[in-house]
Amino acid sequence: MIAFIFRRLVGMAVVLLVVFGISFALVNAVPGGPFQGERALSAETIAALEKQHGLDRPLLEQAWNRITGYLTGDFGESIKLGVDVKDVILQGLPVSAALGAMALVFAFTLGLTAGILSAVRRGTGTDFWLMSTAAVGIALPNFVVAGFAILIFVFAIPLFPAGGWGTLRQLVLPAMCLGAPYAAYVARIARTGMLDVLSQDHVRTARAKGLSYRSVVLKHAMPTAMLPVVSFLGPAVAGVLTGSPVVESIFAIPGLGWHFVQSAFNRDYFMAMGLVMVYTTLLYSMNLLVDLSYAVLDPRVDLRET
Amino acid sequence: MQSRLLPLLFLLSAGLAGVAWIVNQGRLEPADFAFANETEVQSLDPAVVSGQPEGRIIWSIYEALVQLDPEDRSAKPGVAESWEVSEDGRTYTWAIRKDAKWSNGEPLTAEDFEYTFRRFLDPTTGAKYAQAMWYVTGARKYSQGASGLKVGDAVEIELHQRPEGALTHARGQMLRGELLSIDRDTGYEDAEVEAKDYTRRHSFLVAVDGEERRFHVTVEPSPSEEWQDCKAILLDFSEVGIRAPNPYTLITELESPTPFWPELIGFYAMSPVNKTCIETHGSPDWTYPENIVTNGPYEVQFRRIRDRIRLVKSPTYWNRDKVSFNVIDAMVIEQTVTQFNMYETGQIDWVPKVSPLISRELMAADPPRPDYNPGVQLATYFYAFNVTRPPYNDVRVRRALAMALDRDEIIATAGAGEMPARTMVPPGIPGYTPQPCPPEDIEEAQRLMAEAGYPGGEGFARVQILYNSGFEQHETIAELVRKQWEKNLGITVSTRKEEWGTFLNSTSRLNFEVARRAWIGDYTDANTFLDLFEGDNGNNQTGFDNPEYNDLIKAAGRETDAAKRQEILMEAERLLMSEVPVVPIYTYVSRSLVRPSIQGFWNNLQDSHPLHTLYRDDELTGPNNFMEDAVPRKEGSR
Repeated sequence: MIAFIFRRLVGMAVVLLVVFGISFALVNAVPGGPFQGERALSAETIAALEKQHGLDRPLLEQAWNRITGYLTGDFGESIKLGVDVKDVILQGLPVSAALGAMALVFAFTLGLTAGILSAVRRGTGTDFWLMSTAAVGIALPNFVVAGFAILIFVFAIPLFPAGGWGTLRQLVLPAMCLGAPYAAYVARIARTGMLDVLSQDHVRTARAKGLSYRSVVLKHAMPTAMLPVVSFLGPAVAGVLTGSPVVESIFAIPGLGWHFVQSAFNRDYFMAMGLVMVYTTLLYSMNLLVDLSYAVLDPRVDLRET
Repeated sequence: MQSRLLPLLFLLSAGLAGVAWIVNQGRLEPADFAFANETEVQSLDPAVVSGQPEGRIIWSIYEALVQLDPEDRSAKPGVAESWEVSEDGRTYTWAIRKDAKWSNGEPLTAEDFEYTFRRFLDPTTGAKYAQAMWYVTGARKYSQGASGLKVGDAVEIELHQRPEGALTHARGQMLRGELLSIDRDTGYEDAEVEAKDYTRRHSFLVAVDGEERRFHVTVEPSPSEEWQDCKAILLDFSEVGIRAPNPYTLITELESPTPFWPELIGFYAMSPVNKTCIETHGSPDWTYPENIVTNGPYEVQFRRIRDRIRLVKSPTYWNRDKVSFNVIDAMVIEQTVTQFNMYETGQIDWVPKVSPLISRELMAADPPRPDYNPGVQLATYFYAFNVTRPPYNDVRVRRALAMALDRDEIIATAGAGEMPARTMVPPGIPGYTPQPCPPEDIEEAQRLMAEAGYPGGEGFARVQILYNSGFEQHETIAELVRKQWEKNLGITVSTRKEEWGTFLNSTSRLNFEVARRAWIGDYTDANTFLDLFEGDNGNNQTGFDNPEYNDLIKAAGRETDAAKRQEILMEAERLLMSEVPVVPIYTYVSRSLVRPSIQGFWNNLQDSHPLHTLYRDDELTGPNNFMEDAVPRKEGSR
């Protein structure tokens, strides 16, 4: 297990380096620069600003400065916001993570329940409706879901605030909107997994031994049926985090998502690069965690061999 | 099996507890007044920022020499309790009030302004509005740094080493002298050296205290045999018309009489900054709420990125008794729909700019809204030609294109209460009559096209309209203009959409044929719209460089008689509008949505609203200041 983790960490270093190289090249290839605005600056001022941010150095030197910066935890200073990129991440990441976690919790509880229910009641009206709703949930982008959710839960039935940050109530609607498509996916995956397990020998044996249907489903079938759902978790975390700019901006939530998009528009080199590195690290470690959790859920998985 | 799920359950509940904890960190007592400050501010350093969201904060936490009246934007006493103008209109003497204080309790003096203005002009500060101070004698030259210098100038040299006992981020040791010569470094051919590349590949021979010494600007300290390394070489600041003869007197000397100078000096970028604070912490650390020292009606309590800036009333502000709200939240809310939702559900009290779509709904609302009253703004939406590129270098073509537009259709389809504009300078500037561009006349337009050699649009290369993404309105307008030009002139037109950064790059490099642009006036004077099209103005971006026009703008700058000056400016606009490097399309209107119980808020030409004059009057029954001049809507009209 330790060797496995070590191998994956080495892999992570390589991935980070490649991602860094590509994004550094892209950032510098885009036309325009951070000091271009509606008001033209004098050449003298632009030179001074470039000097201040170290952008007057040769590109290779800049790249090297960035890498050594990341290693020492220095992400540079945002060119457009006058704050350290590290502060932006320290303030924004917990918020995005909280929103993402809520969205995933929502997606899993709702999706799992719906999936198991429709598997157990296969072919009935319940199954049909649940799966139809799931199909719609997958098809609708989250800003459409958000629009309807606001109309219903903010204006028609004033249950939740329209936006902002600071109370759990403000987190409910955005988490729901962010989680909705994932709930739909989870429902469909859980249903397939459950149907698969329910037709297996060990389930039939358990039934033959006289266990109740309910206990067979919950104790014997569910953990195995959850495996495909857990493997969906990795990409889901990726989606929840990168999919959040839209939801964060609709509900005025101070997460990282907005910076991720805006820093590219602003040509805020340090911010964009810093966020790309943080996201890469995050996604890679999430996938690693998912792989590790297989070992817990399925005794057949042995990490020593992989 | 059950035991396998247990750790997961544990993880889940730990995660939820974590979420609750994070959310709880964000819990706050509600503020007395909250508004949508649109986007995250760039900085709290007045010198380096630009933009309205920044202005709202800077104007609240700092106070400039004058305050701009919330109703008509005229200059009212600020840190300066009064000022005098010399007879020739060129020397302003400002009397600093004795009770002006910094938020750390120390007195604010004329030296602080001297420091602020020098820093503002220093090219290494990177002030976006530095040009606004170029009216001061020597200021332009100072802010151009080494590249503005000429042999014989008095110069100041900043060395890398700091004087004994100076603060960590203070300026280096200063030497003063006379510039004797500027010499190119050996080993560079003419072609390699860009014009004005003085800081990199040149050395400067300066007479310091009667001794000839050679200096070279370097990034890092790097001693050499041939010359002494220095950080910067600038015009001697004593050549710049800013002086503080005593702690309570500040003198500004201008190149030419500038009647709008008091209004200009009240602009937020010229707010005073604290020398000790900046030299202790350096940039940008000094702007962090725990370090910053300010002098305005409010102080920054904290700044939560992408969430809000919380302002609290300053206990040291001289006029604190007149400030009503104790706590103000400037919320970062990017989406106009979200701003509107939060206003409607009572979370905020002011939305500075509702979206055009919502604006249409609000204007059509029945009964009329008690909180929405669009007013004319000092801002013009226009189309610019690249006059360096044929066929747009032919004035007949430009005129024809300008005359073949239908502004009423554009506004009816894409607008939200804007006014069709036929002048570059918007209406409403006292003493100035805007001069119109060629009228809408399709027949004359067709005749002009034929005269230019394109009868019925034949042989006319395809026109490309450039606009930026991000606002649906730009796209709709571009499509309408395309349709109108194609229909009226028989030419083919295409459109090109570019993302904002790329768009700015294209327009500044004149890499377009026709581009959508806009200009917001910096002060209430026609000059702010007209000097834009001087040949050497960096914001011109049309390639228009007309000697007669440049002379008129300069003549207006020299004129001491106010009425004559306006005449000259009008003549300049007439010329501009007959040459049509730009075609005005519409004049902006403000789109503020203000809670009816809020008083001290007026519509004004610059759509700029100080926060410290606001107060809440829950007993108010009639219209508030904002709605006073609202025109009752006519039946059936929008």
